[in-house]
Formats: sequence, C-alpha cells, structure tokens
Amino acid sequence: MMWLSGGFIFRRGDSFYHRLDPRAKLLNSVLMFTTTLLARSIFEMVLVILFMVGLSAAATVLKRVARTMAFTALFSGFIFVVNVLFTRDLETSVLYAIRFIAIVVSTSIFFITTSPDELEQVMKMFRLPRDVVFAFVTAVRFIPVMMLDTIQIMDAQKSRGLELEKGNLIRRVRNMIPILIPLVVNSVMRSGELAEAMEARAYGAVPRPTSLLVYRATRADVGVVCAAVALFAIAAYSFYFVVPVRFP
Amino acid sequence: MADILRVEGLSFRYPDSPKSAVSDFELSIPEGEIVVLAGPSGCGKSTLLRAVNGLIPHMYGGEYSGDVLVAGSSVKSSNMRDLAQTVGFLFQNPENQIFMFSVERDVAFGLENLGVPREEMRARVDEALRLLRIGDLAQRAPHELSDGQKQRVALAGVLAMRPKLVILDEPTSLLDPKTASELVALVAKLRGELGTTFVVVEHRLDLLVEVADRLVVMDGGRKVLEGTPMDVLFDNEAEAHGVAIPAVAKVQRLLAEREAGKAAAAKLLTPSALALAVEGRLT
Repeated sequence: MMWLSGGFIFRRGDSFYHRLDPRAKLLNSVLMFTTTLLARSIFEMVLVILFMVGLSAAATVLKRVARTMAFTALFSGFIFVVNVLFTRDLETSVLYAIRFIAIVVSTSIFFITTSPDELEQVMKMFRLPRDVVFAFVTAVRFIPVMMLDTIQIMDAQKSRGLELEKGNLIRRVRNMIPILIPLVVNSVMRSGELAEAMEARAYGAVPRPTSLLVYRATRADVGVVCAAVALFAIAAYSFYFVVPVRFP
Repeated sequence: MADILRVEGLSFRYPDSPKSAVSDFELSIPEGEIVVLAGPSGCGKSTLLRAVNGLIPHMYGGEYSGDVLVAGSSVKSSNMRDLAQTVGFLFQNPENQIFMFSVERDVAFGLENLGVPREEMRARVDEALRLLRIGDLAQRAPHELSDGQKQRVALAGVLAMRPKLVILDEPTSLLDPKTASELVALVAKLRGELGTTFVVVEHRLDLLVEVADRLVVMDGGRKVLEGTPMDVLFDNEAEAHGVAIPAVAKVQRLLAEREAGKAAAAKLLTPSALALAVEGRLT
C-alpha cells in the first residue's frame, strides 16, 4: 500500500503546475485519463505518456511519478502476460500494459499536486453538501494527528508489556485491540471538542458561506488545458474516423 | 463602563449528574477587564465558560436557571450565530479547533461561516495574523506548527471574528514557560490595542497576576473569593480552595509570620517589586 499512498499524497510544491487552478488540474487529469482510454496505438499512447512526463517534470514531481510508474509496471507486466496468452497479439498487449500505467499516472498527477484545500474547492464546485465537504476536510486534516496518536498509544502499550510482533496471525490481530480501543475513545472525545469549537466559530450560521480563496483562470491554466484538449482531439479523431495513428 | 458580561444567579446541572456543576453564580465584568478564573479541577469553571458562550444551553441539555447576559442580551434567547460574534472561545487544546489545511484558511473559518464578503475577510484575516505576529505562517499546514504556534493560530481565528469578550480556557497548559509568558504578554497587549475583555481560566497564576484586574476563585460550583489578585492571593482562604499561590506571595507570607506583618503590608506581586523591597532591608 505504501507505493500507492506515496503516489497519491499531496506534498507542498511551488511549480507552475501546483499553482494552477484546481479545476484546470482536474480537467487536465480527466482529459489525460480519457485520452489513454481512446488511444489505440502505441504511438498515441507514447504521446500521452510523454505529455504526462513533461508535465510532471515541469511540476517538479517527476521523481515521484517515476516511482509510481515503476511500481505500476509490476502490475502492467502481469496485464501484458495475461493478454499475450489470451489474445496472442503483441501490440494490443503492450498497449493495454502501457495504458494501465498511463491511467494511474494521470490520476496520480492530480492528487500529488492538489492540496486538500484545493480538493475542497473542487468538491464545492460540484455542489456537494457543505457537511460532506467539511467531513472530508477534517478527515484529511486529522490524518497526521491520528497517526501521532497511534504511535503514542503503541509506545505506551509496548512499555506496559504488549508484544505486537509476537504470535501467529490471530494472536497478532488480537494484539491490536489494546491499540484500537484507546484510539477510538480518543477520536470520539476529539470529535466532541471539534463540535464545540465549530459551534463557537459559527459553523452553519449562513446557508451559503463565503470563501477566502478565489480561483481565476490564468493563461497557464488555459495553456495546459488546451494542450490536453489537443491531445484528446487527436485520440478522439483517430478513434472515430481513421485507423490508429502509428509511428511515422 | 457598561458590563460586557453579567452572570445572574446561574445554576446548571448536567442531565446525568446528581449535583449542580454551577450553583447560584453571580459575576459582572466591565468591558476591557482581564479576569482570571481559578479553582480546583471539576469546580465548574468549564461549565461556567460554556454557559457564557452559549454551548450551554444551546448544545448541552440540563437543568438551567438564572441568566447570563453578554453585551446586554440573554444567552438563552440569543442564537449561536450572534453569540459567536460577541464571545470568542479559545479551547484548551488548540489542535482540536484548527480545522483547515492552512493557517490563513483556518483563521478565516469563522468569517466564512458567517458569510463575510471576501475583501473584508481578507483584511480581517491579515489583521489577525499581524496582531499575533504569525503572518509568516499563513500558508503552513497545522501539522507543521509547534504547540505555541497552534495556540496563536487558534487565537487568531477567534480574534478575526472581532469578539468583544474572549474566553481562554487554560491557554498555557500545553505551553512551555517561555511561550506561556509570551501568550500572557500578548493578552495584555490585545486588551490595550483592541479593548477586548478577557476571561482566563488558569492555574499558573504567577504569570497572569501581573496583567489581571480581577481574580475570581471557584470551588464546588460556587464563587468563593473575588477581588484584585493582591487581595485574593493574600487571603488565607485562597490556598484552601486549591489556588496555587505564586512564590512571591508565599515568601511575603513567610516573612510576615516571622516579623509580625512588616512585609505583608506591601502585598507585592512581582518578583522585581519584592526584590526591591528586600534589597532595602539587606543593606
């Protein structure tokens, strides 16, 4: 799971891509995603991947994207083998294998460059209820806090003689109970305090709260989206009207 | 000056509790004062504070009698929205009152909830960040802050709503001594600049007595002592109610016992004042 989370967790960055409007980043990732589904030749797929690699480099996240790609390659290798066995078509098999990598990368780019704050804005844009959006925000906000809690509880229980790494599978699962109970109790108490603090700061006072952040499309937003649209158009054109565009 | 807070014969009992958490409580606080509320754990301080900002009775049910008036209007009949703008509440654990992923967003949280227009919100957020000198932290995430910084962020979020009365519930309990005394200095500064009234629940009285106008001691849900910090801390009853007497006062009391009241008459509260007084006797 670590590779998966590593490829999808936001870390602060200061590239042009990080600064893009979150809506542009979402649109761009959706376009790249669909383009990979439409691409019917290795050439088209390579174009999409090159575009994504270029973006990642410009967003200074190439290293992390490359790591995601390397890990995904294990799965895509499996996809390739299965496809070769069943279709006996080498090109299609390669295409499917690369497509899997491309799909993961297209979503990964969105998540690693979009802060939870921006995700919240995107959710608001989709008119999700305020309570749902806020639940998401606090969940993300308290992940690091609960991780620290867990470490503290584990240390406390270990110091009282709890041996986490001992015994068979069932025993090990049972060993987690003294960790989980305090963690749950802690969280319930925390949620009570959170509710009080929310009331004290007028949560839910007006039906349509305002927002400190405002996003306006800039030239960079338009540029990135246009490039993705162009790529999408090539793939869509070749998908509907002509034979796949292959290497010249 | 008009009273910003009046507690009139307040009694409150939680639904599952056999006895009242607060009984027949009377208190009036004029605007601009710094009032310290002290007393042993479980003496009803937290209940009283929640009755002031409206969490009681709006969020907690229970047996409620008497009245609490904030800026002239009754808490019972005001809604949480209006109360949130008059009474700011800094809870004990700053971690659990920072909701957003960046400091400036969190400072803006209350204003967003109130539907304050963006330009005004920007100005008020910047002002709060400047008052607490945390402008450089504006883009930080909560987990990148120290406890002292979190405390400041939480206070900034409270101040951005421009409350007339700010309640601080054990604000220094998670802070190291240096950060704690900085916070106390900040409270005094804010009172000076904004004229905000502060009600502070605190065990570390040595820090606060220098800036407080009044000290109220609670025990068993009742008010047992009230007066200037000097009067209360030199009252023999204070220690019996679990008040931590600052070392400065203790020294004077010991001296007084030995020398029949010479030092006790002065009632000095700061180490520097005591040092001056002692210096005169030594030479």
